[in-house]
Amino acid sequence: MKTKFLFQNRCKRIGWILLIPSAILGFFVLFFDFEFKFLDSKVFAIYSEMFVLGDSNTKIFSIDVNNITDEIAAILFLIGAIFVAFSEEKHEDEFIAKTRLESLVWATYINYAILIFCIIFFFNIGFLTVMILNMFTILIFFIIRFYYILYKTNKSLDHEK
Amino acid sequence: MKNNLKVERAIKNITQEELANQIGVTRQAINSIELNKYVPSTVLALKLSLFFNKSVNEIFYLEESD
Repeated sequence: MKTKFLFQNRCKRIGWILLIPSAILGFFVLFFDFEFKFLDSKVFAIYSEMFVLGDSNTKIFSIDVNNITDEIAAILFLIGAIFVAFSEEKHEDEFIAKTRLESLVWATYINYAILIFCIIFFFNIGFLTVMILNMFTILIFFIIRFYYILYKTNKSLDHEK
Repeated sequence: MKNNLKVERAIKNITQEELANQIGVTRQAINSIELNKYVPSTVLALKLSLFFNKSVNEIFYLEESD
């Protein structure tokens, strides 16, 4: 079946290769402040603001110094997850396309339901962590749900001839 | 919508896998149609009609709830 807006099947493997290491790296960056020292570098900042008590340090369209471990982890994770989520299956057909669309709707609902819950119950830096995770969760929920449904329908085939 | 795809398949003595390959869809699609979990597109219905050499109405039919 001809598909629109999807990557070729081989991109899926590339996606997993990017996604898994960057997810592990991202986990340590977010929860243990891990960073590679050699990635301290000058970056071009469109807008950068540090919250330091009594001292505002805002930079607009200028060069700033930043450790880019987190940026690299986030970008690789997003590219990997997009590839895993939106590459063609080996055998594409309309049933798979429908499953994909339904999973995307489902993932969007779940993602924003959880976000609404967190808006009500998480505050300050706690909410910042939620927002950081929320950048990635819609893709994660989609991938889990889509592959789970494919796995489940595949499994139900065992009972049929 | 209901269908008698399974009966047609039995008459032709063909497995889901073989039918899926002939029509160019996944086995999951054929299985889901037979279980009334998935309503195929018109294109797929016409392909099945062509394959079984029967009109679409003979394979697929409406229920009262439709």
